[in-house]
Amino acid sequence: MSSKGPADIPFRNPGWAGNTGEFDLTEGQVRGEDFVGTRPLAGAHPAGAASYPYMLVKKDQEAPLFEGPYRERFEKILTRYPDTRAALLPVLNLTQEVRGHVSPEAMDRVGELLELAPAYVRGVATFYTMYNKRPVGRFLIQVCTNISCSLCGADKVMEAFLRYSNTEPGETSEDGEFTVMEAECLAGCGFPTCVQINSRYYENVKPGDVPNLCERLLEKGK
Amino acid sequence: MADQTELPETVTLTIDGQQVTVPKGTSILHAAERIGTEVPHYCFHDGLSAPAMCRLCLVEVEKAPKLLPSCVTQVAEGQVVHTQSDKSLTMRQGVLEFYLQNHPLDCPICDQSGECKLQDYAHEEGRPHGRSREPKRVFGRDDFGGDVLFYGDRCVMCTRCVRFMNEVEQDPRLTVVERGDRSIIDTFFEEGLEGTHFHGNIVDICPVGALLSKDFLFKQRAWDLDHTDSVCPNCSQGCNVELHTRDNLVQRIRPRTNLDVNGHWMCDQGRLDYEWINRGDRLEVPLVRGEKGMRAAGWKEALASLVEALGAGPVSAVVSPYLANEDLGAVRALVDQLGGGVVVYRSQRSSEEVVLKGFPKLARRRDLAPNVNGAELLGMSRVGDDDGAGGLEALASHGGVVLVVGDDLDDQPPTFGEGAALYVFLGTHSSAATSHAHFLLPLTTFAEQEGTFTNYEDRVQRFWSGLAAPGAARPAWLVLWALLAERTGQAQPTRPEEAFEAMPAFGGLTYEALGTHGGLVDPSARQEPAGAAGD
Amino acid sequence: MAYPYVSDREVRVISTQFGDPEARTLAGAKERGRYQGLKTALGMSPEAVVDIVKASGLRGRGGAGFPTGLKWSFMPKDYDKPHYLCCNADESEPGTFKDREILRWDPHQLIEGCLIGAYAIRARHAYIYCRGEFFEATQVLARAVEDAYADGLIGDDVMGSGQKIDITVHVGAGAYICGEETGLMNSLEGRRGQPRVKPPFPAAVGAFGMPTTVNNVETLCSVPHIVVNGPEWYRQWGSEKSPGTKLFCVSGHVRRPGNYELPLGFPLMDLIEDLCGGITDGNALKAVIPGGSSVPILTAEECRSCQLDYEGVASCGSMLGCASVIVMDETTDIVKQVRRMAAFYAHESCGQCTPCREGTTWVTRILRRIEGGRGTEDDLDTLMELTTQMVGTTICVLSDSVAGPVQSSISKFRDEYLALIRRGERVGAA
Repeated sequence: MSSKGPADIPFRNPGWAGNTGEFDLTEGQVRGEDFVGTRPLAGAHPAGAASYPYMLVKKDQEAPLFEGPYRERFEKILTRYPDTRAALLPVLNLTQEVRGHVSPEAMDRVGELLELAPAYVRGVATFYTMYNKRPVGRFLIQVCTNISCSLCGADKVMEAFLRYSNTEPGETSEDGEFTVMEAECLAGCGFPTCVQINSRYYENVKPGDVPNLCERLLEKGK
Repeated sequence: MADQTELPETVTLTIDGQQVTVPKGTSILHAAERIGTEVPHYCFHDGLSAPAMCRLCLVEVEKAPKLLPSCVTQVAEGQVVHTQSDKSLTMRQGVLEFYLQNHPLDCPICDQSGECKLQDYAHEEGRPHGRSREPKRVFGRDDFGGDVLFYGDRCVMCTRCVRFMNEVEQDPRLTVVERGDRSIIDTFFEEGLEGTHFHGNIVDICPVGALLSKDFLFKQRAWDLDHTDSVCPNCSQGCNVELHTRDNLVQRIRPRTNLDVNGHWMCDQGRLDYEWINRGDRLEVPLVRGEKGMRAAGWKEALASLVEALGAGPVSAVVSPYLANEDLGAVRALVDQLGGGVVVYRSQRSSEEVVLKGFPKLARRRDLAPNVNGAELLGMSRVGDDDGAGGLEALASHGGVVLVVGDDLDDQPPTFGEGAALYVFLGTHSSAATSHAHFLLPLTTFAEQEGTFTNYEDRVQRFWSGLAAPGAARPAWLVLWALLAERTGQAQPTRPEEAFEAMPAFGGLTYEALGTHGGLVDPSARQEPAGAAGD
Repeated sequence: MAYPYVSDREVRVISTQFGDPEARTLAGAKERGRYQGLKTALGMSPEAVVDIVKASGLRGRGGAGFPTGLKWSFMPKDYDKPHYLCCNADESEPGTFKDREILRWDPHQLIEGCLIGAYAIRARHAYIYCRGEFFEATQVLARAVEDAYADGLIGDDVMGSGQKIDITVHVGAGAYICGEETGLMNSLEGRRGQPRVKPPFPAAVGAFGMPTTVNNVETLCSVPHIVVNGPEWYRQWGSEKSPGTKLFCVSGHVRRPGNYELPLGFPLMDLIEDLCGGITDGNALKAVIPGGSSVPILTAEECRSCQLDYEGVASCGSMLGCASVIVMDETTDIVKQVRRMAAFYAHESCGQCTPCREGTTWVTRILRRIEGGRGTEDDLDTLMELTTQMVGTTICVLSDSVAGPVQSSISKFRDEYLALIRRGERVGAA
C-alpha cells in the first residue's frame, strides 16, 4: 500500500512568512492579501460590508462612532437584513473596529441606532468571546490550546508568549503592548500551534519562534 | 365530509395509565394538570412564552426516541405518557442534580424557604445525597433597583424574569449576560429597574430565592403566613390579590390569577402600599358625647342614643371610596330612610394610567381607590380635587345631620361640623376634624371584613376577611343596618351577602355567582337607587 | 499550481485549487470550470436540482451526515414566503480546518454552491455565516463575492436567467455554539446564539421566522460538481450509504498533517501511515479521534479495522462526524487531553440548559482534580453517570458531545486515570 507520489518529501503546508516550504508561494499569496488588496473603509459592495477585520493594532477609545466612511458602511450593512436587530453583530464588530473594545457607552449608542434596549445589547455582546469588554493591548495574542495544538506543544507556546510579555493569561502587559489569552480551536489544526494576533493567523508557531515574532510585531505591527 | 366546526377538536391520550381528553393543541403539561399531576418545571409559566430550556419537565412518551419537554409538546391522539416511570424519574433526578451543583443551599437565610420550587422538587424527586466535591461558583448579591434584590448564586437561569420584562412589561431591563456557567441575569449596568412599574412581579414568578423583595427581606417565614383572598385597595383596577398576614398584620400582598382582570400580575404601587392597613391608633370602641365630653359606650347603648338623636334635619353625608359596596349601600339606605340628602365622596386621582403593555387589561388606574364605581352606581358624587382633598365646605358648615362614613377628614379644619345639629362620624381613625362629633363609631378596614368592591369596568369582586378587627370595630354595613333595624323596627341584613343582595343597583348579582372570580354588573338588570345624586 | 498530490489515492473534487492563488480571481475560477454547474442548474427546475442531489446521496459534511437532498426537499415548494439559505462557515469543531481552506483558496466554488442551493430551495437570499476569527479567509470570500456581483453572477439577474439571488457575507464573533444550525439562525438574527427547540424545524420556521436551510461549506461545494457530472459520477466513490469524497482533516502526532480529500470508506490506518507519513518520531499509535472532539475515542486496536465512512466508523464504536482525524501517539496524556476537550465544551456551552451549563463545568473540574492527583475511583463512576445524565436531556447535542470523549476514555484508558488516582502518576507528556 505504498503511494506513488513523492512520499519522501516532507509535506509542509505554507504558513506565515518564513515557513513556505517547497511551494513557490509568498505570504501575501497564501493569506490572500494580494487578492484582497486594500478595502475601502466605506465598504465596497454591501454584500461584503459586514466582513471587515475588527481587531486592529490601532485602537482609539475616544474615536467617534458611525461617522464618515464608517457611517456609510453602517448604512450598507443595514440594507442586507430584513430587520435592524440582525445588523447587531456586524455593527458591534464595527464599533470594536473603531475603538478596540465594546464599552457600555458603545452598547448604549448601538442600541439607540438599532432601536434595541441597551440591556439587550449587553446580553448579546457578552455572549460572544471576541468582543472585548475591556480595553486590550495593541496586540491581542490568542494561542490555541485545544486538542490538536495541545498534542503538539501549545502549552509551551503559551508559556513562551507569557514569558516574553511578562504578563498573566488574560491580562495586558505593563507597557500596554501585549494581551495574551488562550483561545479555543482556531481551525488551523494542521499547522500547530495556531496563534491569532489581532486579525491575523500565525501558523506552525513553535516556542522558539516566539521572541522573533513578538519583535517583528513591535517593529512592523504585524 | 363531516362538519367539524361544531365541536372543538379534542384529543384523547393516556397519562400514567389514566385516559384524559383535552382540546387539540394542549400541552402534555397542561393535560397532566387536569388529572392532578404536576410535572416539575421552572421556565414554563402560563403568562409567558415557553422556551423549554429548564429541561425539568421531561417526560417519557412511548415511541419517542428521547424524553420530551412536556411544556411545549402537544398532545397527540393515542399518545401514552409516563410521568412517573423509572426512565422519567431517573432523568429528572439527573437534571435536578445539576441544578443543585452550584446552588448555595442557604435555605436557613433565604426568604423563599417554604415556598421554593427547588426545595419542593429536590425533596420529591431529587437525589437523597449530594456528591459534588467541587467548589461552587459565586455571584453574590446585586441590587437591581426598585424593590428587587438579586442573589445570583441561587438563580436557576429559568429566565422567567427576563421574559416578563421583555414580553409583559415590555421594558427590556433584564438580560442574561455571559455564556455557559458564567451566565447570569443582570441589568444594563447601573440602569437597573428604576422607572418600571410592574417589576414586583418578577419576585413572584422567580421559582427560587434569587429575586427577592427588599420590602419583605428577612421579614417573615412563608409557612407562618396566612393567605386570604382579597382585592387590591389601591386603585380602581381591582387586581385580585392575596393578603399574607401574621400577628394580625398584613406582611405582604401577592396577586391572584384572574385572566379577566389582572392576569397573573399586579403593579408595584399597589403591591407595596399596605402599611396603611396595619396602621395602629385605631378607634376601637363607640364614643358618645355627653355633658362631660366623649365617653366610651357599648354598641347597643351607642346605637340607641343615635336612633334618638336622628331625625334632626336634612342629611348631608360624605363617604369613602375605600368602603365596600355593602357599606355604601347601607349608607344609601339610611340616607334615603332619613328623607334623602346629598352623599359625596373624595378620591385621589392620578394624572394618567400606567398600562401593562403585555396584558393591557391591567393598568394602574387613575382613581387611586378601590370602589369609586361602587359609589357612583349608588348615586354618590365626587367632590374635591385630585389629591382627594377639599370639596366639603358645604358639609363642614351644614346645620342638620352631618354623616361621615369612612372618610378620615385629615385635610379638614378642627371647626368641621361644629354647627351641625348631629355630627356622626364612623371611621377607623379620629382626627382634628372629628373633635365636634357627637358620635365616634369604630369601623373595620376592608381587610377586616367580608364584602365586595366594584372596579373601573363595573366588575364586582368579593374579598374576605384576613385580619381581626381591633376592639369593637365593626363593618359600616353592619352598624348602619342595625341602626335602621332600630329605627324602623324591621329586620335588616345581618350577613354580608344579605347586605349585598339588598342593593338593586347591582342588578341581581349574588355572592354565589361572584365566587372568587367576580362578575360584571349587567346594565339592563340594574335599577337606579331611589335617591339619585342631587343638588 | 496547487499543492502537489502526496498519493495517487487522493481524489480531489473540492480541493483541486488548494494552493493555487489564481483560483480566487473570477477569471481564474471560470477557467477552472466554476459556474458551469450554476449554468446547468438554472436551466432546470428547482425540483430537478433537488432530485439530482438526492440521487447522488450527498450527506451533510458538517458532522450530522443528514442527506442533503432530503433536507432541501423539506422546504416549501413555492415563493409565498421568503426562503433563506444559510451557509455554515462557522467551523469551530476542534480538529477541523477544511472550511477555512475552501474559503481562502476556492471561494467561487462556495459561491456557486450557495447560488445553486439557493435556487433549488427557492431562496432569494443566502447568508454565508463566517466564523469571526476567520478574518483573512472572510475577506477573500467577500472580495470574491464582490467580483461575482460585478459580473452579474449574483444579484437581480443571475447569469441572465431572470432569477434574483443575493448573497451576504455575515461575520460571527466567537462562539462554537453558533455552528449549531438553530444557534446560527439566532446569531444571524442578532440574538444570543442559543439553539432553539425543534419542532418547529428550520424548514418551517427558521431565520427571521421564515423557511430556512442550513448547509455546511463542504456540502455546498460538492453540489456544483454533482450538478455538472451527475449523481452516478459522484457515486463512483464511497459506498451505497456514504457516497462521494470527503475532506479529511488530519492533525496531531503525524508527520504530514493537513487536509486530504479521499473517497469515503478509505481505511483509517492507510490514511495515517501512508498518506500522512506515519506517526511523528516513529512512535506507536495510542488512540485516534476519527471525527472531531465530539465523538468517542478509538484505541489503536479499534483503528485497524476502521473504514472512514459513516457506517464504518459507527461499527467501530465512534462516529465520522466532520471527519477530523486527531492522531494521538504513545506520548499522549489521555487524561489531560480529555480534560482539555471538556474545558472546551464548558467554555462554549451557551448556558440555556442546566445539564449542559452545570454538567460541562462539573465534569471539567473533576477531570482537573484527577489530573492534579486528587481524584478518587468514585470520581470515575460519577463521571460516567453525570455524562449519561447529560445525554438526551438538552435542546442541542453539545451536552451529548461531552459524553463521547469522557466515557470512551474512561472505559478504554482506565489505567491512565487509575495511575493518576492511585499513584499520582501521569502517563505521557503531551
